[in-house]
Amino acid sequence: MWISNPELNLEGLGIAASPAPTRRRSARAGVALGWIRDRLTTTPGRLILTSALVVVGAACFGVLATGAEQSREHAVQAARTNTEPLLIHAVNLYTDLSHANATVATGLLSLGPEPLNERARYLRDLRGASQSLTALTREAGTSASAPAALSTVADQLPIYSGLVETARANNRQGFPIGAAYLRQAAVLMTGTILPAAGQLYATEAERLDSDYRTGRSTASLVALIAAIVVAVGLLVLAQLYVSRVSRRILNISMVLGTVALIAVSAWAVIGLISEQNALTTAQRDGSDKVELLSAANVLLSRAQGDLSLALVNRGTDVTDPQDFATVIHVLTTSGLASRLGTGFRSYLQMAHRIQGLENGGQLGQAITVGPQAGSISEQLSARLVAGIAAAQNRFTRSAADAASALSGLWLAIPLITAVAAALALLGLRQRINEYR
Amino acid sequence: MSRPIRYVLGLALFAGALAGCGTTSDRALTTALAALNTPPTQTPMATAAKLETCPHLTASLRPPASMPAPGTMPPGSYMAAIKHRGYLRAGVNAGLLDFGYLNPATGQIEGFEIDLVRELARAIFGDTSPKHYRLVALTVPQRIPFVQQGRVDIVVDAVTITCDRKQQVDFSTVYYGAQQEVLVPSNSNATGIAAFAHKPVCASAGSTPITVMDSLPLPDRPRAVGRTQAIDCLVALQEGQIDAISTDSSILLGFKAQDPNTRIIGTSLAPVPYGMAISKAHPDFVRFVNGVLAELRANGTWRRLYNRWLGRLAPNPILPPAQYDG
Repeated sequence: MWISNPELNLEGLGIAASPAPTRRRSARAGVALGWIRDRLTTTPGRLILTSALVVVGAACFGVLATGAEQSREHAVQAARTNTEPLLIHAVNLYTDLSHANATVATGLLSLGPEPLNERARYLRDLRGASQSLTALTREAGTSASAPAALSTVADQLPIYSGLVETARANNRQGFPIGAAYLRQAAVLMTGTILPAAGQLYATEAERLDSDYRTGRSTASLVALIAAIVVAVGLLVLAQLYVSRVSRRILNISMVLGTVALIAVSAWAVIGLISEQNALTTAQRDGSDKVELLSAANVLLSRAQGDLSLALVNRGTDVTDPQDFATVIHVLTTSGLASRLGTGFRSYLQMAHRIQGLENGGQLGQAITVGPQAGSISEQLSARLVAGIAAAQNRFTRSAADAASALSGLWLAIPLITAVAAALALLGLRQRINEYR
Repeated sequence: MSRPIRYVLGLALFAGALAGCGTTSDRALTTALAALNTPPTQTPMATAAKLETCPHLTASLRPPASMPAPGTMPPGSYMAAIKHRGYLRAGVNAGLLDFGYLNPATGQIEGFEIDLVRELARAIFGDTSPKHYRLVALTVPQRIPFVQQGRVDIVVDAVTITCDRKQQVDFSTVYYGAQQEVLVPSNSNATGIAAFAHKPVCASAGSTPITVMDSLPLPDRPRAVGRTQAIDCLVALQEGQIDAISTDSSILLGFKAQDPNTRIIGTSLAPVPYGMAISKAHPDFVRFVNGVLAELRANGTWRRLYNRWLGRLAPNPILPPAQYDG
């Protein structure tokens, strides 16, 4: 886009230096062309044209370089302060809801009164989900998140918690309908609420991805380098011309201008490259890890929810064991299981032991052992949460590095370019004045 | 001009290379999204049950002339094989209150049907020690295949004797004569199924009660609504999504016990005879079980067990007399 700018194009410069006899399109163009043709006939005229070219080249360089820098800086700032924090809210919403669904099933599984720590965990998950939902809703104005998905979560979450409380009340009375309410709650969660949360997550993740693409766009770097080549080349050509006209090798102020332009160019190139490297680190070690670890966490919660729900349903439903098998298959084949470490194997062993007891006609024993799978899954999940927090810290650090790599360039590029142009004009002016 | 152009091209390539050194693939996001998009497993909807009539539907094999004494099973019989194994494997329900359900307070599956299984264990082993029977909680679609595949010795899980099922397994004599009845909220004025013309009435999807409702000899039939399980109908009733539930009286009794704001109305829509399902490979076991059932009827144990679990809900049970045909 930037490179195709005709004013930057070397052939465009050629046209300006010796315009081809084109048909006059309008009177004004004719006047301008006439003026240029008049200037081309004398040496001071040509020097004045060179000055004009230097000004135009410097202005183009300033605009292009600042534009390239600004487009990256905006992307980095958006990723740091907007899209990544929103992604974290969406991730938290998704994981908290999944975790709540697993926790409540595991809690209702136990014989006798529901363990208080499971209850506390469930309430904490719901609170966390509500906070993330509030944060996402607050940013809904600036976020592309589907408002429909937000309102699905907001509308259905109270219904979900109502079903869960009805399930608890019935379960405390020993009524099998408690399990039916819990199943309905789980269907609402996995069939309606979680898909909406997943949509929010996907939207935020893709927005962050788009910021990464802009923040690392090759086009900005190519535009910057092309602008540097043209501007520096122009200054060098102008100096060659001036030295030929004046028979002096060096024009001090023009040399100083060129040096200034090269210096700011080097600064900008180094800034953009370190920025994109830092951004790459932010993605690779930061947000990519957050995405993978939280996906593993969500799927682990889903598996644990299935395992518990199968027991809560007392073998009256074949869906949950099937879904458990599917989720474990996905975790294994996608490589996400490796994020869970060796604990995943002991979780699977415990799960298979429980399912073996259940299928072998020892449902009561399976229910007694059931919470052990829950606590292994809690440990795995806690490790994932710690990993997510560490990855988030790495993101924050590297994204800050990316931003600081560009700091000051927004001012330095236009300022130093203006100084360089002024120095070059000063040098040209000395030569022009020699003809007066 | 060609040299500067080459120079620019070189620089552009250099820039491209620089830009390339700092890129990552989008694999992380793709992997995460693909894994998270795994759709939830859907509960398969049962196919519609057929209403068929066949002669001697509830007739079963005659008990042996003399029952073996508990603990001493005839050599070579299937009962001897069970005795040798050390425990009876019974497929049961774990979610049917008072029939077969897992009591959350004890962690044990309890109920009328479970007590019948215990009586079978007593007849084989001489006592009802829990080590002599294992209860396998089955889903509705698992009940017949588990018998056929020999994964359980017997299924005592509210299995209705139907012509279709009789082709696949053997049934004991009827041990409980359920009826298809209607459960409504206690503030309903309805007195029979006829009150629900074109109104939603729930039963478990693909079950016989649905087919019975769809073929009622009425000008305006109820609109039969199927849910995954019968208990889901009670949830739907409590949430006001349906007007009534029509299914086995045994199930409705359990619903009434869980929700005092309901009542059972009207006359029976259809008889629902329950039999214990046994593999066709073990006719000696069928005869033995029928012998045990005959004793339980005769010595009042059946009535005592019934009263223990269901007497308070329906004090006058109908137990059809045992029918034999071979």
